[in-house]
Amino acid sequence: MTRVLVVDDEAAILRLVSAVLERGGFTAVPAATARAALAEFERAVPDAAIVDLGLPDMDGVELVAALRQRMSGPLIVLTARDATGDKIAALDLGADDYVTKPFDGDELLARLRAALRRAGRAIAADGVLRHGPLEIDPARHELRLDGRQVTLTPREFLVMEVLIAAGGRLVIHADLLRRVWGPSHVGDSDYLRVVVRALRLKLEADPSAPTLIRNEPGIGYRLGEV
Amino acid sequence: MRTSPAGYLITLAGVALVALVTHAALPHLGLASAALLFLLPVLAASVRFGTGPALVAAAGGALAFNFLLLPPRFTFRIDGFDHIVSVAVFLAVALVTSRLAAELRAREAEANARAAAHAEQAEFAALLSGDTPDVLTRALAWIAARYGAARLIARDALPSEDSALSSLDLSAAGWALQGAEAAGHGSDTMPASGWSFLPFAPGHPGGSGLVAVARPMSGTTRRAEEMTQLQALARLIGQARDRLALADERQSRERLEDRDALRRTLLAAMAHDFRTPLTVLAGEVAALDGDPAAKDRTLAQVHRLGAMMDDLVGAARIEGGALDPQIEAVDLIDCIDAACDRLASALAAHQVERTLPADLPLVAADPVLLTHILVNLIGNAARHARARIAISASPEDGSIQLHVDDDGAGIADDLQDRLFDRFARGAGSDRDGGSGLGLAIVKGFADAMALTVGAGAAPGGGARFTLALPLRQVTIA
Repeated sequence: MTRVLVVDDEAAILRLVSAVLERGGFTAVPAATARAALAEFERAVPDAAIVDLGLPDMDGVELVAALRQRMSGPLIVLTARDATGDKIAALDLGADDYVTKPFDGDELLARLRAALRRAGRAIAADGVLRHGPLEIDPARHELRLDGRQVTLTPREFLVMEVLIAAGGRLVIHADLLRRVWGPSHVGDSDYLRVVVRALRLKLEADPSAPTLIRNEPGIGYRLGEV
Repeated sequence: MRTSPAGYLITLAGVALVALVTHAALPHLGLASAALLFLLPVLAASVRFGTGPALVAAAGGALAFNFLLLPPRFTFRIDGFDHIVSVAVFLAVALVTSRLAAELRAREAEANARAAAHAEQAEFAALLSGDTPDVLTRALAWIAARYGAARLIARDALPSEDSALSSLDLSAAGWALQGAEAAGHGSDTMPASGWSFLPFAPGHPGGSGLVAVARPMSGTTRRAEEMTQLQALARLIGQARDRLALADERQSRERLEDRDALRRTLLAAMAHDFRTPLTVLAGEVAALDGDPAAKDRTLAQVHRLGAMMDDLVGAARIEGGALDPQIEAVDLIDCIDAACDRLASALAAHQVERTLPADLPLVAADPVLLTHILVNLIGNAARHARARIAISASPEDGSIQLHVDDDGAGIADDLQDRLFDRFARGAGSDRDGGSGLGLAIVKGFADAMALTVGAGAAPGGGARFTLALPLRQVTIA
């Protein structure tokens, strides 16, 4: 059984998320404080964690960093809609995804399952990364859509490589910029807009309603679920 | 400076003493040495008492030398040319010596006065360096104790009616402010005034005020040195006043910032407190058995409550000036997508058409605020549309016009003017609409980003909301 640690200081949320997880076939391990969560890690490292960012005894973002050092499985944060800064900080420190309150159980389960799927993904023996209809071969510098090769500029190729390697996980703008343009350009999200626009024109069936490259305004990019 | 009679008496006593000593010791001294001894009282008197006593010492010395020592002794008669020369040389030396010594003495007195003035200024500056609000009052009391009653007059608060200030005083004060130099008693301008007026910043017209010091109680006229000193003190007061004003301003700004921080913290706490029960509610409803349609309706209501909470927080952020737009290049498609995702359940029953050119330029906006605007505009359209919502964008003289159209009843005339006001709602069927804040937030967020938003009729009937967005030119590295 997959064990999922749930950290939230609100008893009602803790109970609710636990119920949702049990319904989805997971074993819920509740913790009401950051201290309790870290103690649980000492006993047994869970397969995944769902963490509320508003905890009384520790900054939620710090807890995310601490948990990330102790586990490789999916880490999902619960946060308020308008807490953009917290979301970015948590994602930057290793959270896999976020769910804003109020959320419903199915949404949470879907996010958790997708994250677990990504975590369990094996890299193909040929070094080729796949995501839905996309295939990228870093060694040969080739990207294929439905088996058809698409010509990309070097920047476009790098952006796609990062996104496909993330396999549907949300990649924050700063991270993409750092890895494609270098550390001195983490603030230049304008660059990303231009390159992603060009990529959508080459890859999307309808560039005005993209399904492959999705953006979370102010936060980052992810590839659409397959 | 006048010398007291005691100075003359002591000088004469000195001359008499030298006369006695030389008279007694003449056999051992010789005339020349005796004459030199008579220079001592001249020197002493000029250094100690000034020119007058020195002259007396010189004259007395000459007479005593002649009477007691020069042969024929005990007469004032001078026999022989060489004796006349002796007395003349003695007098000349005595006069020059006394003049030099007196000058030295004056210079020393001046230096002493300057040192005293500087010490006084330093003491005054130390008094003014305090941070308590009564510093200026204490400084004025300090001046009053030494020079005469003192008061501050600010440029913008020149009293028109004041029992202590006559009209002459007031015009002297006005002149001092205008001309940025001392006026009134002790100065060259309107010296008949009962007060000396000393501007804070002499030589800089447009200074912020001046210090007025009453003329001395003794009735004497204030001397130039005293005016100079008072001017220096007035300058110090002006500097202290500027510093205090600056500190005041900083403090009130900090207070404002503290209040904003508190407001933001309260907002975050409030939002958190509301969202937690909403989340639990949504979860509990989803877990219930029963009619799935009823469940979906209930969940939709819970999500609307959540959206209202977002609106409330948004409205409070606008109100609190807590918006800090981060303008960057934004792909409108991203924000439209995100808004439609968030509204997925509200849009499920509608047909949503997008007419966006593939080469739609990037716009300059804050992506998070713009998405919130679109959530509200598209959500508003969803509440009023019969079946169809159309989102379109087109470039138009250097900007992008983004339209959100619905096929509902359109905007009632009586609502047109106050559409973007808070709690403005259409009558009748849209009672179950949004928070009543939605369009006000659209306006508030648009204002914060310097975007214009308008409302009118859609081409096929229904309402059209239009957002004008500036283009963002991007040069890529």
